[in-house]
Amino acid sequence: MQIENCSRWFGNVVAVNDVTMTIGPGITGLLGPNGAGKSTLIHMLAGFLPPSAGTVTLDGGPVWKNHDVYRTIGIVPEREATYDSLTGRQFVLASAELHGLDDAGAAASRALATVAMEDAAHRRIGEYSKGMKQRVKMASALVHDPAVLLLDEPFNGMDPRQRLHLIELLREMGAEGRTVLFSSHILEEVEQLASQIEVLIAGRYAASGDYREIRRLMTDRPHQYTVISSDNRMLAAALVADASTAAVRLNGDALHVDASEFLRFAELLPLVARDAGIRLFEVTPADESLESVFAYLVEK
Amino acid sequence: MSQPEPTPSPAGVIHDIGYRGYDGGRLDRRRIGSALFVHSLRGVFGLGRAGKSKIIPFGLAVVMVLPALIIAVVNVALAGQGVATEPVLQYARYPMVLSAAIAIFVAVQATQAVSLDLRFHSLPLYMSRPLSRADYVRAKYAALTLGLFLLMAMPILIMYVGSLFAEFPIGRETGDVVLALIGAMLYALVLAGIGLVIASLTARRGFGIAGVIAVLTLSYAIVTALQGWVGEMVGDLQTAGWIGLFSPMTLVDGVQVWAFGVETSTPAGPPGGAGPVFLVVTLGVIAVCYAALIGRYRRVRL
Amino acid sequence: MNRTVLRLTAQAMLGGRRVLLVSAMAVILIGLALLVRLIGDISEPDIAAFLQVVSLATLMPLFGLIVGTGTIGPEIDDGSIIHLLSKPVPRPVIIHSKLVVAIVATVAFAVVPTALAALIMGASGSLALALAVGSLAAGAVYCVMFMLLAILTRHAVIIGLGYALIWESLVGSLVPGARNLSVQQWALAVTDALASPGLITANVGLVLAVTLIIGGFVAATWYAGSRLRVLTLATDD
Repeated sequence: MQIENCSRWFGNVVAVNDVTMTIGPGITGLLGPNGAGKSTLIHMLAGFLPPSAGTVTLDGGPVWKNHDVYRTIGIVPEREATYDSLTGRQFVLASAELHGLDDAGAAASRALATVAMEDAAHRRIGEYSKGMKQRVKMASALVHDPAVLLLDEPFNGMDPRQRLHLIELLREMGAEGRTVLFSSHILEEVEQLASQIEVLIAGRYAASGDYREIRRLMTDRPHQYTVISSDNRMLAAALVADASTAAVRLNGDALHVDASEFLRFAELLPLVARDAGIRLFEVTPADESLESVFAYLVEK
Repeated sequence: MSQPEPTPSPAGVIHDIGYRGYDGGRLDRRRIGSALFVHSLRGVFGLGRAGKSKIIPFGLAVVMVLPALIIAVVNVALAGQGVATEPVLQYARYPMVLSAAIAIFVAVQATQAVSLDLRFHSLPLYMSRPLSRADYVRAKYAALTLGLFLLMAMPILIMYVGSLFAEFPIGRETGDVVLALIGAMLYALVLAGIGLVIASLTARRGFGIAGVIAVLTLSYAIVTALQGWVGEMVGDLQTAGWIGLFSPMTLVDGVQVWAFGVETSTPAGPPGGAGPVFLVVTLGVIAVCYAALIGRYRRVRL
Repeated sequence: MNRTVLRLTAQAMLGGRRVLLVSAMAVILIGLALLVRLIGDISEPDIAAFLQVVSLATLMPLFGLIVGTGTIGPEIDDGSIIHLLSKPVPRPVIIHSKLVVAIVATVAFAVVPTALAALIMGASGSLALALAVGSLAAGAVYCVMFMLLAILTRHAVIIGLGYALIWESLVGSLVPGARNLSVQQWALAVTDALASPGLITANVGLVLAVTLIIGGFVAATWYAGSRLRVLTLATDD
């Protein structure tokens, strides 16, 4: 899927601001705080919202006003609304029929099996828990074997066991070569699952890549390391002497170093330690987690 | 900057961030109920809500008031020329003349008062306070009734002021106006009751509005058509009068005709001796609506 | 026409409270006819006048409103229409399927009861047929109009009510020029043409009325389909 210079505004509020990205096969995570425009972007990808400017295309063809595109796309929306009076099976079956599948019943059964909802499929959707509703919506989105799967905050409100199951399922989908895009504001999920992360903040496309790569891109911010060595104080003194170290702090038996130039520091540390005869026991980057990346990006 | 983990302490620590409990006095149930009442009353006229929800109440208020203004002016003009010695239209008949506008008002505001709470599940917010379900019902019923009463009273009073300017006999006019206001209160009670009962049955605003309007307009159309046919074609004014019991507007109109000696606004007024029945039925309808609302809200799932 | 959409819409309509309201209205109409029959004899002109007021003028617009908005309004309102829109079904097909359900409901709960009521009250076959056709025409146009309105705005019911009560009852009946734009008047013209002369007074020529009915119906259906294609769903983000 290709998004080019896409913007969307509602009156005075700009929800998505000049975003250009390509989403290919595999699992992509769309990350951003609430109100960042993730849902708006996904709605535009799904053809439910026209961009105010720019284009959204799937394999070169437009997504907006093109109902045939739904043969290739499966959508799992965030909002609860479903046909509460139908049973799970009836709902997925109706989905299959609407897609014009030849053997709708078999496709529905397959889809229900994939999301492990066969046992509960005979009960009404109105009686389902939130996680079950989510899974039924997922089955309805998978029933036509789509090449593209768009999920809007799929992990919202799921308990850990269901989350694991969903992660497994999405990993399978990604491994089969499908294009899976899901949005979240919870960092752990994106970390665990997505190979490619697109970060959206306040409507702007803030960063993309592997989360470690994202970190690497921002070399102008001091990297932090926690070092445990045989003589922290002497090591600190030796490190501070070099320009690549912005600050050092001694705390208990650990030395915290802020390095302003990542590469130079990485070369420097072992050299300095060797010259001073200090043994390094542990060198840990202190803020490689997505959380700190995120916090940093938000502050920016 | 990341901080090193503090050494775990055996017991957790709750930090003082300035949160203070409240040990002082709290307002009692009545105050809560009257606060809800005032809030609902303001909501009936769209005050305290978004701009768009003011259009209908204010628009309908204008629709109610304009003809009254015109009538008042006409009264003054005609009286000035010595042509008229009494108002062109009796005060008590005004609600019937504008029954369509009042019906729309009831439909829209009754659903706004109760359907929204059902739709967005905000009832638990109310019920988790020392506010009983009956209090909720009472507050809403009273608010809608008072709102409707004000809607009808405004034009009636405008016409009254016009009559004063026209120098019609003050004693007679004041008596008429007071009776008309009592009639307006009866209208308000009946219509509010019916509107709220229907609106409380559904969480969908559109359906609630359609339901209330359907009941009010259909009953009015059927009753007046039947009365017209029975009264004029068959010549049976007695039966035609009894038919007036079956529609809210004609019901209260019947009470007014009997109790206040007002001319009837329907094809057939209540037959002789039937007046008290109309009054009893009116009071019965109000009581039944109230009981239905209490029952409905006792059983509604929060 | 898509059978699945048809089935889903019909299930939603029959399972909800709407069907209670419309069947209550139908039952009341028939009960009324029985009552009138029991009280005394009623002449044909009176039957015509009575049903004109009760059925054509009051029942049909309300019916069209409840059923027309009911087929698509609630789904758009709570967002569940996304399940229909996320399928490769052409939007006009969705509209046609829902319209069929609406019109069948109208026939079952409004047109047939109107004809039955007329017959019970002792009307001739031709008058009953005329009323049936007239109410069918009115009902069909109202259904599609209000369905279109439900797609255009969330306040479809209020606007529809304003149209039915204010435009149709007051302006449309009284102001001569405006009568040409009133669905009720078109239906009256059709009824007048089919009934014995003198029973119904129509204020709009038959040719004009039929043209407007068919034209309005087709145009509204087409427009509803094209609006559904560009329907944007409200997002929270």
